[in-house]
Amino acid sequence: MPVTYTGNEVDCCLGRIAKEDGQETAGDEEEGVVDGEVVMERRAGRDGDGMEGMSTRGLHGGGGQGQENKLVQINCDPRQHRSSRMTPAYEASTQFNNWRFSPERLVLVRDALNSAAVAAIKSAFDADEPGSSADVSFLDAQEEHLLVKLYITKIPQLCGHFRFPEEVEATAITYLKRFYLRNTVMDWHPKNVMLTALFLATKTTNNPISLESYTSNIPRTSTSDVLDLEFLVAQSLNFEFAVWHSHRALWGLWLDLQSLSDVTEDQRSRDVYETALKHVRDSRFTDAELIYVPSQIALVALSLASPFLAQKWLDSKSSGVGESCSETLQSVVVAINDLIVHTGHPPDVEAVREVDRRLKLCKNPEKVVGSNAYLVRKAEEERKAEAKRNKKAQDIRRAEEDDDPFGNALNEGQPRQQMELDDDDD
Amino acid sequence: MDAVERANAERQKRWVKDQKIGEGTYAVVYRGREASTSKKVAIKKIKVGQFKDGLDMSAVREVKYLRELHHQNIIELMDVFSSKTNLNLVLEFLDSDLEIIIKDRTLVFLPADIKSWMAMTFHGLEFCHRNFILHRDLKPNNLLIAFNGQLKLADFGLARDFADPGYKMTCQVITRWYRPPELLFGCRYYGTGVDIWSVGCIFAELMLRTPYLPGESDMDQLKTVFRALGTPTEEDWPGHTKLPDYVPVGQFPRTPLRDLFTAASGDALSLLSRCLTYEPRRRVSAREALHHPYFTSLPYPTHPSKLPKPVSAQSRPLEEVDGNVQLSASGPGVKAAPPNRLKRKLSSPIDGLRPLARKLDFGQAL
Repeated sequence: MPVTYTGNEVDCCLGRIAKEDGQETAGDEEEGVVDGEVVMERRAGRDGDGMEGMSTRGLHGGGGQGQENKLVQINCDPRQHRSSRMTPAYEASTQFNNWRFSPERLVLVRDALNSAAVAAIKSAFDADEPGSSADVSFLDAQEEHLLVKLYITKIPQLCGHFRFPEEVEATAITYLKRFYLRNTVMDWHPKNVMLTALFLATKTTNNPISLESYTSNIPRTSTSDVLDLEFLVAQSLNFEFAVWHSHRALWGLWLDLQSLSDVTEDQRSRDVYETALKHVRDSRFTDAELIYVPSQIALVALSLASPFLAQKWLDSKSSGVGESCSETLQSVVVAINDLIVHTGHPPDVEAVREVDRRLKLCKNPEKVVGSNAYLVRKAEEERKAEAKRNKKAQDIRRAEEDDDPFGNALNEGQPRQQMELDDDDD
Repeated sequence: MDAVERANAERQKRWVKDQKIGEGTYAVVYRGREASTSKKVAIKKIKVGQFKDGLDMSAVREVKYLRELHHQNIIELMDVFSSKTNLNLVLEFLDSDLEIIIKDRTLVFLPADIKSWMAMTFHGLEFCHRNFILHRDLKPNNLLIAFNGQLKLADFGLARDFADPGYKMTCQVITRWYRPPELLFGCRYYGTGVDIWSVGCIFAELMLRTPYLPGESDMDQLKTVFRALGTPTEEDWPGHTKLPDYVPVGQFPRTPLRDLFTAASGDALSLLSRCLTYEPRRRVSAREALHHPYFTSLPYPTHPSKLPKPVSAQSRPLEEVDGNVQLSASGPGVKAAPPNRLKRKLSSPIDGLRPLARKLDFGQAL
């Protein structure tokens, strides 16, 4: 998927801050491994990307470079090895490389997906009954998005019910958003996709629960509602399960603030953190995570809660960084701010209800179990699978007939191709 | 066909499955190749349909971490695609593993060879730890060896991100002989030290050519560890008697490592003892280990392409089976110990199928 990204300059800028700082902290890291506090900090850097992850960046830069070179000599291609050392962890992630878009690109992707879906479903209608697509009013990209957004807001409710950790909630929301950058609601209704994304997120974040107890706690849901879609969801995510979250980045900022000598304990009260966290949670209802890096979102959330602390933190990191960088950063801050303030809330339920009502009439008949088009499609698939099975059985039979169970005669010339009797069913 | 299905079909076409080379409890491994380049790959097909909870946790873990980790010393996950209800992982094809090499009695290891394998292991592990990932199943047969001699960490089926302080993790991880004492005592809060202990055991095994701490049960494992390294005192390891599953297993005196590792250099023993330190927080980190004098002192590590590797059984002339000793080499060579009571159990008795079937086994699910 082609990715263009407008916030790139800022990214580089933040990357640079991180690296510079990393060199300074490299020494601390070496001594501090035993200390619980430091371990916590390093961990918090993990999900956060660049800015607060700099204590980990110590690993890239800092001392020991000379020795590293000596070690590198045992590798075949030192350049390749060095480059993997130098890339900041976040920039090597699938999230950074495959799931970032400019706002314009995001609109483009959704529009293209929507028009392709409408075209496909129209022909499915017409194949079923010629001319029947004429008076169907299909959803447009905005309407699809509205419906998805409603189901995003259901995830925190469910997670509260199950008492899942924040990471599960955030991951499931990301999965749901990413799924609908590859699929249309007219094929797959977000209700079951949402349930599946959440179930998958419990597993990928290492908080598994049994499917039985999951579905039995959700009204009108069977295990197959979840299981049938799991593979499709995983596939749509391109099997890229790791997600970097802005609530982790916020925690990283918070730990950083605790180490600033000119910030008093009163100034960084727990309330401020809670308020900032609330803004991070609001940001999950927006496209922010598809456009900006987690640390940028976290910084904005902090500045919404306490502009003073956000500035303090920024000052502590940005000494030596040029004017232009802080200007670019400022514009990103404003943009995310707008996103959170204007779209960081659940959609109007009445509007969504209207969309959902229309969806009932325009969903892809091939995906509606029991419809004509569905049956036709299934029959076609079954016919193909049957043909394949027959061919395979025939091949095996032929191979068996050819082979004398007591071994082939000697001097038979070239050894025959051994038939692989595997259980490959695809 | 949906866009998603179409994309998958295209991926599937990129790869060709050849013959089956191994079968585990829930995965079948095929030798395969990339259609366009004929590059050799291993395709691990995971049967998904058979699990009542859907995608299996070890498969989820392996895919999650290998998707993110790209490093010379970590196995490369080249692609993932699905066929019907099966998940297919396309992995780089690796011929051998460190266990096979250790057990191949025709091979002689020089100190420089061991240093090279250790350096590559620590490089791969440092990369995992830098990315906040614990491997949790390091052992010789999860260290795979590529054709060019590069060592690669494989089998991420038990891996996980570090937990936040205060969040419990399971202690039922890591194959017993390589499991650190804190996990045997039921410690639920741990860190990178668990992997380092395993690497220490592997280091010792490379020198001894036989497993260093082969306990017969979890309880016996502790005894085996203490017999080898001495029972820890409160000073060696503050607070260990308060761990959840702590039991006294007897007093054993500390014997110097030198007594057993007679041929090892002082640097080697210094690094080994830093890996096998009881107090997990005093154990060396992967990054510190790479800066240990062991790696920069003579002899320098062997270039990966020059490391000993097993000659396949068919192509080796019979008379050479025992004649593979390099007399001109500097330093004492270590030959494999003769088969003895510590012989490992093979998970698959068929020799031809063995390497890949075993090394691509995901291990026990949690």
